[in-house]
Amino acid sequence: MAHTATAADTHHDAHAHEHHGPQGILKYLWSTDHKMIAMQYLFTGIAMGLIGAYMAYVFRMQTAFPGVNVPGFGQVSPGEYNSLITNHGTIMIFWVAMPVLVAAFGNFLIPLMIGADDMVFPRINRLSYQVFLLSAIVLIVSFFVPGGGFGGAWTAYPPLSAVAEYNQTNLGSSLWLLAVALEFVAFLLGGINFITTLMNSRAPGMRAYDIPLVCWMIVIASILFMLSVGPLIAGAVMLFFDQTLGTGFYDPARGGDPVLWQHLFWFFGHPEVYVVLLPAIGITIDVIATFARKKVFGYKLMLYTTVATGVLSFFVWAHHQFIAGIDPRMANVFTITTLLISVPIAELCFVIIATLYGGSIRLTTPMLWALAFMAEFLIGGVTGIFLGASGADIYFHDTYFVLAHFHYTFFPIAIIGTFAAFTYWFPKMFGRMMNDTLGKIHFWGTIIPFNIIFIPLFVLGIGGEHRRIYNYEHFPELAGEGMFMLRQIATVALLVMLIFQVVFFYNCYVSWKKGEKAGKNPWKANTLEWTTESPPPHGNWPEGLPNVYRGPYEYGHPDRKEDYWPQNQPS
Amino acid sequence: MAFPKPQATLRSATGIPTGRLAVWWLLASEVVIFGGVLGSYLMHRLGHPEWAEAASHTNTWIGAFNTFVLLTSSFTAVLAHQAAEKGDGKKAAGFLVLTIGGALTFLMVKSYEWTVEILEGFTITANGFWSFYYTAAGLHALHVIAGAIIMGIVAADAYRGRELQRVELIGIYWHFVDVVWIFLFPLLYIAK
Amino acid sequence: MAEHHDQHGAHGAGHDEHAGHHPNYKKIYFTLLGLLVVSVVGPVFGIVWVTLISAFGIALVKANLVIQNFMHLKWEKRIAKWFLTASLVLMALFVGGVSVDVLNHEGNNWENIAAQAAVERGLAAAAGEEVVEEEAAEPVDVGFNAPNMFNLVCASCHGAAGDGKGAAGLALDPRPANFTDPAFWAERDRARIVNVITNGGASVGRSPLMVGWSASFSAEQIEQLADYVETFRPGA
Repeated sequence: MAHTATAADTHHDAHAHEHHGPQGILKYLWSTDHKMIAMQYLFTGIAMGLIGAYMAYVFRMQTAFPGVNVPGFGQVSPGEYNSLITNHGTIMIFWVAMPVLVAAFGNFLIPLMIGADDMVFPRINRLSYQVFLLSAIVLIVSFFVPGGGFGGAWTAYPPLSAVAEYNQTNLGSSLWLLAVALEFVAFLLGGINFITTLMNSRAPGMRAYDIPLVCWMIVIASILFMLSVGPLIAGAVMLFFDQTLGTGFYDPARGGDPVLWQHLFWFFGHPEVYVVLLPAIGITIDVIATFARKKVFGYKLMLYTTVATGVLSFFVWAHHQFIAGIDPRMANVFTITTLLISVPIAELCFVIIATLYGGSIRLTTPMLWALAFMAEFLIGGVTGIFLGASGADIYFHDTYFVLAHFHYTFFPIAIIGTFAAFTYWFPKMFGRMMNDTLGKIHFWGTIIPFNIIFIPLFVLGIGGEHRRIYNYEHFPELAGEGMFMLRQIATVALLVMLIFQVVFFYNCYVSWKKGEKAGKNPWKANTLEWTTESPPPHGNWPEGLPNVYRGPYEYGHPDRKEDYWPQNQPS
Repeated sequence: MAFPKPQATLRSATGIPTGRLAVWWLLASEVVIFGGVLGSYLMHRLGHPEWAEAASHTNTWIGAFNTFVLLTSSFTAVLAHQAAEKGDGKKAAGFLVLTIGGALTFLMVKSYEWTVEILEGFTITANGFWSFYYTAAGLHALHVIAGAIIMGIVAADAYRGRELQRVELIGIYWHFVDVVWIFLFPLLYIAK
Repeated sequence: MAEHHDQHGAHGAGHDEHAGHHPNYKKIYFTLLGLLVVSVVGPVFGIVWVTLISAFGIALVKANLVIQNFMHLKWEKRIAKWFLTASLVLMALFVGGVSVDVLNHEGNNWENIAAQAAVERGLAAAAGEEVVEEEAAEPVDVGFNAPNMFNLVCASCHGAAGDGKGAAGLALDPRPANFTDPAFWAERDRARIVNVITNGGASVGRSPLMVGWSASFSAEQIEQLADYVETFRPGA
């Protein structure tokens, strides 16, 4: 067996240092261990995800059945409706997709996959989580202050977000902005850690091209985040002064410019899409290579394509502003760059398909999630072409078509990608296998309703339905019976999907309590995290950190009896 | 109660020590933060010729004196690094204390300057120029304060001969704060 | 394998290969001070391009001296230079992409009227006798027009026709006031109209969603709005 060989090639001078940290409950809250911090991020992210899902449930009920007394909430007022949709978007992107995909899996996987005993700066890592937790608390507090939570959409365009007379949520909008700024600080701290760890702390023998792609992707995502968020931090400070001190940074009558905020926001906002997309693609490619038992097609091609995607993602931001009053000549430029970026993304999809081609595919639960990611994300990508072309976007802008498009990208990223990773690494995180049957029930119970939610929304969008309307009964041309039926179908599908998530939590609990013991390497995978105990102890490899001899995807090598070849096994 | 450093921190696959690599990345992220403020300011300033009148009320002499203070503190910071490289923690700590003195001088001059300006009615809401003036210089002043605090911690460690490599790291950060001011000075004071 | 590990675990004490390159710090410091003097003296001549060079050209030289010698970037590994350059290039990209909209106040089929007006006001104020700054910043009355203002801020709920059927008002309960309804006028006088516009609906026990406008409009302007509201009165 492969893992018995690992002990022989470890070096014995790696002092498994003792943990001097605090004991008891503080051991969990105050731990500097990267796996513990990953868990904290994961569970906080899931908790915030449940809050975001609850918000979606409330406002979908209001759109499908206007004026209904929503069970568990009550009557939804227009202000509450705005606040719910705003905070649903904010939470799902900043407090679910980022902490789970980038921070939780980045923290868990990077040190394990590159053969290090921890992050390079464990205490900064802990600080990063604590600032993140603080930001989540500030956001939740902002719902309950007088005036209610901020309701100016997650993009927070001024003057609506800057002037209290307009948004009517004086305190709520300031707290919302503060929470987002704190969250950025948390991810800057975390990002520096990820990047430095990957650059400097690889196991001896591990070359740049021996790093598993998911680590590369998380680190490239962190670099994109670090280099794009700065202008928005500056812009947030300016918006905060507009809100609280009464400056006029975004007020044209006083020498400011509201379009400046849109530029600052989307200069970050578009790379942000790739910040969460790349880790999800990385997870998918790793899962697919393991379960297709096949080497990744074109490792370097994949890596360079990712870098190209990252670079191009800085050149497309103004496609969100085609009808916001930007100069039409710039709109032409940004249409071209936007259509260009679909080339590397398509290339990533082809690489994944080429990896599947001729493999001996095992349809385990994580593999189903990974394949679903590909299929659903493709729909999201293809519908994006319409929005990237400035001519078509004038019609589609701010309709349900946009909404359906970005849910077809963000749902695969944040939900499907997370489930693929969670089910794949669950044995490593908790030491036990997940129940496959329950996993598959949950999978189909999520994927089918997901499509039934959002395909009707494409139709509604093409029908001209604006996305931020409180009660469609007030607009005769949008209140037809057919359109209401589509909205109700989507809402019912959402309820079905939410109910099926109970299966997931039940499965987690049952598998965590009495699942089958996983052993070191249940999936017979190559990467380094599978060469240590499940769950890994403090310091990750108690008998010494591993050395690396080959790339991460050596499956089905013709000269070997086993169809896999762990990275740390000498030839 | 020294914190046990993981093996990961001691590795250096790029050839750059981990701490210094992280500081470079930190600076890259700072460049884009200040770039956002100064880029926005630059675009507005060029689009609003009337701001020249407001800008003419800034005090070039105070700005120049503060530039002198920061350049001098950068000089002492690099001397601290030189001492730390020779392993002389006490001398390094001494130079760091001088640098902190520079930071405090800078902040005192700044608060005098702002008090005078605010009393003259040039508050942050007076006009777009003053909004950017206080925001950009305030963001910079926050970095001066943070740098001075961290430098105090590093100096205390260095005095006992511990963590001498950090003298260089805080120095790099401090020089960056200096460089930001080198650009703020012409942008806010000289160009009138 | 043990020594292999030790190589990688080289202590990050800063004493790596770039140590030993020591520029003459004192010389660089005095050069910087000299450049500072030049940049302060530059504007004395009053020639624009001399000022630009002495201000920004010298800032670049000074920054470069500090970065290369004090921060030791000259001796740093290439990768650090790359990503620091990348961050600068991104800022250039940002300014380049945004300045078309923000720096300019007019372009292809668009103009930013508010910004142009702000520039004109500011220049006029600066040209006049030493105007104090706040005056220039005072939001200038661009001509208050009660019907236009009603359509802008009131009609979303009360309807452009004053019938209480504005798009945003449809969902409200209590219903927005219908100014065309004789029953409405039966129990209200002009003082009450002025009071509600000034202090909001809550002040008379009606909906708080009708906010007070005293912060936005002067008493005179509110009188004009009340005049306009009275034009909806049946038989007025």
